[in-house]
Amino acid sequence: MLRLWPLRQISRLQNAISLTQQACNKSSVPAPSPELVEVFVDDKQVFVEPGTTVLQACAAAGVEIPRFCYHDRLSIAGNCRMCLVEVERSAKPVASCAMPVMKGMKVKTDSPVTRKAREGVMEFLLVNHPLDCPICDQGGECDLQDQSMAFGSDRSRFTDNAFTGKRAVEDKNIGPLIKTIMTRCIHCTRCIRFASEIAGVEDLGTSGRGTEMQVGTYVEKMFKSEMSGNVIDLCPVGALTSKPYAFTARPWENRRIESVDVMDAVGSNIVVCMRSNEVMRILPRLNEDINEEWISDKTRFAYDGLKRQRLTTPFVRSGTGELVPADWESAFVKIAERVNATDGDLIAGVAGGQVDAEALIALKDMLNRLGSESVCTEEKFPMTNSGIDFRSNYIMNTTISGIEESDLILLVGTNPRLEAPLVNARIRKTWINSDLCVTVLGAPVDLSYDYQYLGDSFELLTDILNDKHPLAKGLKEASKPMIILGSAVLQGENSGAILDTVKSLSEKLRAGSEQEDWKVFNVLHTQANQVGALDLGYAPGVDAMKGSKPSVLFLLGADAGTVKREDLYENALVVYIGHHGDYGAQIADVVLPAAAYTEKDAVYVNTEGRAQIGRQAVSPPGMARQDWKIIRALSEMLGVTLPYDKLSDVRARLGEVSPTFNHAGQVEDAGFFNLSDSATVPRKESRPAVQPLSPALLSLRDFYMTDPISRASLTMAKCVQAVDDAEKNPYSKPEQS
Amino acid sequence: MAGIARIAPSLSASICRGQSLSALSVVARTNTTEAKKPEKTTFGPLKDQDRIFTNLYGRYDFGLKGAKARGSWYKTKEIILKGHEWILKEVTTSGLRGRGGAGFPTGMKWGFMNKPSDGRPKYLVVNADEGEPGTCKDREIMRHDPHKLIEGCLVAGVAMHARAAYIYIRGEFYNEASNLQIAINEAYKEGLIGKNACGSGYDFDVFVHRGAGAYICGEETALIESLEGKQGKPRLKPPFPADVGVFGCPTTVSNVETVAVAPDICRRGGEWFASFGRDRNRGTKLFNISGHVNNPTTVEEEMSVPLKDLIERHAGGVIGGWDNLLAVIPGGSSTPLIPKEECDTVLMDFDDLIRVQTGLGTAAIIVMNKSSDIVRCIARLIDFYKHESCGQCTPCREGVSWMMKIMHRFQTGNAKRDEIDMLYELSKQIEGHTICALGDGAAWPVQGLIRHFRPELERRMDAYEAQQAARN
Amino acid sequence: MATRSVQQGLKQVKPMLSVDRTEARRRVLNLYKAWYRQVPYVVKDFHIPVTVEQGRAKVREMFLKNKHVSDVRAIDMLVIKGQMDLVETANIWKQRNHIMMFFQDTVNPKPADFLSKFYEGQD
Repeated sequence: MLRLWPLRQISRLQNAISLTQQACNKSSVPAPSPELVEVFVDDKQVFVEPGTTVLQACAAAGVEIPRFCYHDRLSIAGNCRMCLVEVERSAKPVASCAMPVMKGMKVKTDSPVTRKAREGVMEFLLVNHPLDCPICDQGGECDLQDQSMAFGSDRSRFTDNAFTGKRAVEDKNIGPLIKTIMTRCIHCTRCIRFASEIAGVEDLGTSGRGTEMQVGTYVEKMFKSEMSGNVIDLCPVGALTSKPYAFTARPWENRRIESVDVMDAVGSNIVVCMRSNEVMRILPRLNEDINEEWISDKTRFAYDGLKRQRLTTPFVRSGTGELVPADWESAFVKIAERVNATDGDLIAGVAGGQVDAEALIALKDMLNRLGSESVCTEEKFPMTNSGIDFRSNYIMNTTISGIEESDLILLVGTNPRLEAPLVNARIRKTWINSDLCVTVLGAPVDLSYDYQYLGDSFELLTDILNDKHPLAKGLKEASKPMIILGSAVLQGENSGAILDTVKSLSEKLRAGSEQEDWKVFNVLHTQANQVGALDLGYAPGVDAMKGSKPSVLFLLGADAGTVKREDLYENALVVYIGHHGDYGAQIADVVLPAAAYTEKDAVYVNTEGRAQIGRQAVSPPGMARQDWKIIRALSEMLGVTLPYDKLSDVRARLGEVSPTFNHAGQVEDAGFFNLSDSATVPRKESRPAVQPLSPALLSLRDFYMTDPISRASLTMAKCVQAVDDAEKNPYSKPEQS
Repeated sequence: MAGIARIAPSLSASICRGQSLSALSVVARTNTTEAKKPEKTTFGPLKDQDRIFTNLYGRYDFGLKGAKARGSWYKTKEIILKGHEWILKEVTTSGLRGRGGAGFPTGMKWGFMNKPSDGRPKYLVVNADEGEPGTCKDREIMRHDPHKLIEGCLVAGVAMHARAAYIYIRGEFYNEASNLQIAINEAYKEGLIGKNACGSGYDFDVFVHRGAGAYICGEETALIESLEGKQGKPRLKPPFPADVGVFGCPTTVSNVETVAVAPDICRRGGEWFASFGRDRNRGTKLFNISGHVNNPTTVEEEMSVPLKDLIERHAGGVIGGWDNLLAVIPGGSSTPLIPKEECDTVLMDFDDLIRVQTGLGTAAIIVMNKSSDIVRCIARLIDFYKHESCGQCTPCREGVSWMMKIMHRFQTGNAKRDEIDMLYELSKQIEGHTICALGDGAAWPVQGLIRHFRPELERRMDAYEAQQAARN
Repeated sequence: MATRSVQQGLKQVKPMLSVDRTEARRRVLNLYKAWYRQVPYVVKDFHIPVTVEQGRAKVREMFLKNKHVSDVRAIDMLVIKGQMDLVETANIWKQRNHIMMFFQDTVNPKPADFLSKFYEGQD
């Protein structure tokens, strides 16, 4: 519906026309450099691009126009009428959010007409808006509240002799995440536009008309989207608020700490709101390169998992096989006794996907000092051929913002909508705004945009490589093709064949492309710091480690259940360092409580290879300590003291190991594509059958609980429940929670 | 609302962009230079041979046979073959202004479609969603003379290179829609429309789309939305439908009457049409007269005919005689009313009604004599607008229902005198602040009432106060 | 000659209260006596788990802590501070814990090395 071909054709035609015009201009007279339009905002002259709106021109002139319905990233609705401004020689005030600038336009943003128009609109908005600010969660960050301070009247002109009251609207139940108080709605339709444009679900809309108009889901059902929480931020009033956050804190009580998310490998930038050493809520932080201003529901709502199932004290397994609380020293002593009596070769470490880079390097350094080289991640990645030798083999080379330049995307064995919702949102954005064509090898899942489904067999991939598939031609003709390989399909047996084929294909396209620096090959990871671990020299996958039957095993936040006791030496000592009492803690002999991502200053490398710093918002609970400090302290007890006492020392060590960590926030480019391809030896031997290229997460239900934090989250559990209920009977009322 | 498109040229001037503004002045200039011959000073009655709609009262066959007997489809092929520029020239010469209410010069509007094609098809959309209270002209055309409209679609379609015409007909017009469909089927069968229409080599389709009964769907962009299958809520302009209209293609939305008179203008010539009415208010027009008249009717008359003539001659006069007249709403419910003093002299055309601070609108004359409760009448109109507001933009959604509450209090007099000024201010806060003109249409009747019947409002308030005082 | 130059030197720096050591000494002794007399009341008023003897010993200790100070101006300043403390104590502007701060010998020193800091949970 959004993607009308004629509109897109026009824009291209207009571009073509303007280009030819420019060419003509050039031939006759030297073209006036950029054809900017002169606009006067309150008699201040500004030059803006043609096609910008009056509101943007005013912003360029430094004048902020009040608005409710307008939002930079959504289509223009123009229905709140708050942004009316007077334009000279126009009979009536114009809606500045929708009106494109014209040459010599004189905008008056503070004239009596403008002010009167705003005051009028504000009065109308307040006629039916309830006066429940004291009990409204939006209080303090409410656009209506703020703007009524500027444009509202100090008294009401509304006489209600018949006591008919203000408009009252029944609240909708749209799931366990979003609380609706629809009486407060001012019908700006931002949420509707978000749902249909960004999230790609046509769940929200308006019913009724005039004063009876209501925003809702038509029939009462769940707002089923992996990004639904963003409507809470979009809502300018308190109509849509966060259900888990309801009545817990006021915005001015919270301290805001800028941090990075670890629920997926996107590394969304977030703001952690903290009050009295407790995470109250998580909000998105603007980062155009990664998450724009959206975050996924798991990022936003899984924070209550940080307060449940936490390890707050060290545990040591007693003679009877029970985990008994202990103090740090005795836990360390217990480990030291065993380690000192063990050969270095028999010591191993396994890191989970959410572990920060500081802890990773500390564990690796410690084990190396103990004489062990066996450090690996739980997540697998093929080690065949050039494997992880080249960084370009395992990161998202084109970067997330690079998606917007692409014109053809081949998704191999990934469901970005659930594995990395913001990557998917970026693909959808590109798909809407350009001629992007998406093809999928994997499962026919709902990606919120149209795509061509090819199938799920490995043979199709080789066919494309060998030009036996129609898509091969399409890929060749595309100017900027992208191939995104999901890490889920690399977890199975013989995944090396998949990686090799995709890499060969990508390299063929890259070499054949005219775009010099366009990198075709991308891996979409699902674990927050998998790239960081690989950068630091961790071996992917635990198979090699299992082969050596270690006698002492360090599990660093490893909760995916890839290691079992049977894989280890008999009576092996398992040390778990992590923050949740999840799988890893169950099989451990010594449990050392560590800090979750909101409780430490830590570096994570996202799937693009971008190192980002997450900041500490609260202190670790109980006796828990930050991960790298635990390892540093333990190393001292083991007699191999690590040479860093301060965070800055660890960071410096990180920089020594990999340049990725030297400049946080930027993508460290990977090169050597030719080399990595030439290192790929074509396999001649007959391949054993490769399993279907199907991603791990197929339906929304799978999305909510993927890691220790979200597994411990009550909110996420409610979401799973709600999705189940909605699937069972899509049009019944969701259980009121 | 067969167009809130309608209403007051002052508005239409503001609607059109800079380019059209300048074009407007060009038109005005050419008109004045052409008007060398002495201008007429008396208007009406229209002679029978000058009538375009000769089966307005359904006395004859509405089908193709009857229509052909009345002159429809005569030499249509020749008109088409003369090409779009000729048709545009004739329509421009005729001085025809849109009959939907806003009165935008039709020749110019259709001319907007003559931009070089970018590969998209163009469409003509006929606004047959006639919902304005008091208005009943388009339905007469569609049920008694549908071939006029179909032929008009073809001619107008040719003038703007349209591929097809969509006739968006009001849902309640069941008989009209079925008559229209019968006529379309006949025309297809005869090869008058469809592939190679009238043997001219031009392919043109006509589709009927029935609305679901919302007044707002008469606003051109809301109509387009509704036609596309969405909620009928007005779109923002720009982009104007001539750039991005129905299904994203260039579109012109025209009123039924505007389209239906086009073939006759082409057959008889623009000069003929321009010989009626005053300068800038040319042609003949269907007038609907309802309310307190002896003989409510729809009649075709010359533009600029005096209101008094119209009522006396065609509607059998006001019930109780002319002196019993209280007020008239001259252009459908959204135009401000005018009191009797103005009615004595006012001419029924765009400019003269602007002079008396109202508008021609759809030329639906609602007559109220002294037996009517004028405040209640206007309150009832506001009820209507409150019910039909689409709820999209704030001033209309919130303001009209507020106005309604106040109007109902005014009806009984349960209000303070200074609330009259407040109500006027409120109506000003709505007017011109909305996406479409429904807000304006709701504000104007109230403004008209306050402008002309303030003493009546005050009298009621005093009476109410006295009554309350007596009760206590 | 020498004494004169010393006196000139003393004159050049503006005296705070005392012009010479004798005067300063007198002030110190006066303050000491005042504290000495106040101690029983302090013990009683603040209801602290300290005997009068212990309190006097603490007063003595606090005075002896600064016995190395020889600069007259510094002595004066210490005396002023001691007087302020005394006033605040006598008027019970101080609270119990403020008095007990003088007896804080039992407080552990902050850990310095990494491991101790780790065990303490302090950064």
